Amino acid sequence: MFASVVDGACEGSGVSGPILIPRRFVWPYGGTTVFLTGSFTRWSNHIAMSPMEGCPAVFQVVCNLMPGFHQYKFNVDGEWRHDDQQPFVNGSCGVVNTIYIVREPDILPSILNTETPGRSHMEVDNMEANPRMPVSDLEVSRHRISVFLSTHTAYNLLPESGKVIALDINLPVKQAFHVLYEQGVSMAPLWDFFKSQFVGVLSAMDFILILKELGNHGSNLTQEQLETHTIAAWKEGKFQQFRTLDSNGGSYPWRFVHAGPHECLKDVALKVLQNKVSTVPIIHSSSEDGSYPQLLHLASLSGILKGICRHFKHSLSSLPILQLPVASIPLGTWMPRVGEPNGRPLAMLMPSASLGAALSMFVQAKVSSIPIVDANDSLLDIYSRSDITALAKDKAYARISLDEISIHQALLLGQDATSPSGIYNGQRCHMCLRSESLYKVMERLANPGVRRLVVVEAGSKRVEGIISLSDVFRFLLG
Amino acid sequence: MSNSHSENHDEATVVGFEVPKSPDSSYNNVYPGNEDEARDPPMVPSHLQHTLLNYPANRDTAGTVPLPKNVILNHLYIENRESPRSVVALGFTHRFRSKYVTVVLYKPVQRRGNTSI
Repeated sequence: MFASVVDGACEGSGVSGPILIPRRFVWPYGGTTVFLTGSFTRWSNHIAMSPMEGCPAVFQVVCNLMPGFHQYKFNVDGEWRHDDQQPFVNGSCGVVNTIYIVREPDILPSILNTETPGRSHMEVDNMEANPRMPVSDLEVSRHRISVFLSTHTAYNLLPESGKVIALDINLPVKQAFHVLYEQGVSMAPLWDFFKSQFVGVLSAMDFILILKELGNHGSNLTQEQLETHTIAAWKEGKFQQFRTLDSNGGSYPWRFVHAGPHECLKDVALKVLQNKVSTVPIIHSSSEDGSYPQLLHLASLSGILKGICRHFKHSLSSLPILQLPVASIPLGTWMPRVGEPNGRPLAMLMPSASLGAALSMFVQAKVSSIPIVDANDSLLDIYSRSDITALAKDKAYARISLDEISIHQALLLGQDATSPSGIYNGQRCHMCLRSESLYKVMERLANPGVRRLVVVEAGSKRVEGIISLSDVFRFLLG
Repeated sequence: MSNSHSENHDEATVVGFEVPKSPDSSYNNVYPGNEDEARDPPMVPSHLQHTLLNYPANRDTAGTVPLPKNVILNHLYIENRESPRSVVALGFTHRFRSKYVTVVLYKPVQRRGNTSI
């Protein structure tokens, strides 16, 4: 699906031969005999480093390197060392320093001042327990991912043969959610027949808002009116509500977020993040004025992430940030530690809580899923916004009150009666450990049905955090 | 057949090697009856039934369905349901560059008394 793009082809043309960039390596921590080795010497040749005049504790050597990503290490008096003041990663060869050579030769750094005190000892205590995230590693990884996303279009997200569901805006809301439930999707684009345009998206959040509206005593909607209330009328009422709410502040643009097949993946991902939507319909129009639109696909972050993982699968060393454990990265929502100031709390519920409490949390806390935990905060299940379509089964929404049904009962509705597994199906709760690498997390989030991973403690399954697709993309895109 | 060589021999035919006689009922020139002409041709080609509209498009499969047969491309399908419903599904499969897209649009059925679509 994704054609591989040679990085060299995107470089500036006109260069006939390879350019070697001189780079000075410094070992300022003393020793008797210091050697340098790295990926540029195939880890076999050891380059002797010379002590600087006047500074017996500082060793240096100048090497000519190809532009790109390199790793290196020092051998000091027979012991392998790395410079923890320079960027380093924990790879298959142990801890190695990393360096990224840009095409333009850097100005050589000024000669080290003879009066600069050099550290004679390096603290290696607890280095593995809490590895730092080097800033240059982050920039290198972000740059490479940005280049990949900018050189691939939304057309690459289309499967060889795909199927998309769309709804007419004059469809009754009740029938619309039956369609979503029957087809196993959680959202669909909306088609306006008279305008001959796609005008919006209906999602599970709309159904949540409708159920809460029905639950209000002063609701304008009744059960009978739900039969004939159309999507267009519901969207219009929603638009009026938002306009009223934001009459004091700035305007809230209620517009249809979509993309064309020729837009690059970076623009599609930014549209998802900035508009706080989960999918972007890919719509193509062969005419200039946008008439006769063709619906091609529903692009999501998981499809884009799948492309990233597939592209960099065999060159993970070029993305050093992906090899860090997720606990060391400012990513996701975490349980506050003891003594830490309380940030945004992680929303969790017990299975005996009411479905109404879950729906209120979806609306107010603006989360898309809630971990369901026991009294010890151990993970039992997860309830997502998309699970609301299960209420369309046997018209359960018409027979229940939101505050009288528990989350446990709502989850049972979503279970397939013929499913051999128990009610707490392990496949529904996608979990990971805090020590797993970012790449492992990304690989699992790239599966279409997985939108978030709950970080749990090994053994007890106590909830420690949650990492969603949008968290990963906000981190990678910067 | 006759040649000079056979004049010296009798016309002896070995038993079992006689020239077989042509069957009486092998050939005829009967005009076809009208029973075939009484049957109407099919309404549509039968391979139009191989549509992709019955495959699920749920999120777990990322909306992937098998590759379509070329004959079903650019045809508009309407959902066939016995009982009257207030919603009807329209399906359409077309090719966009080198990929195929199947779109299913759900529309309300216009109610006009006894009018049936």
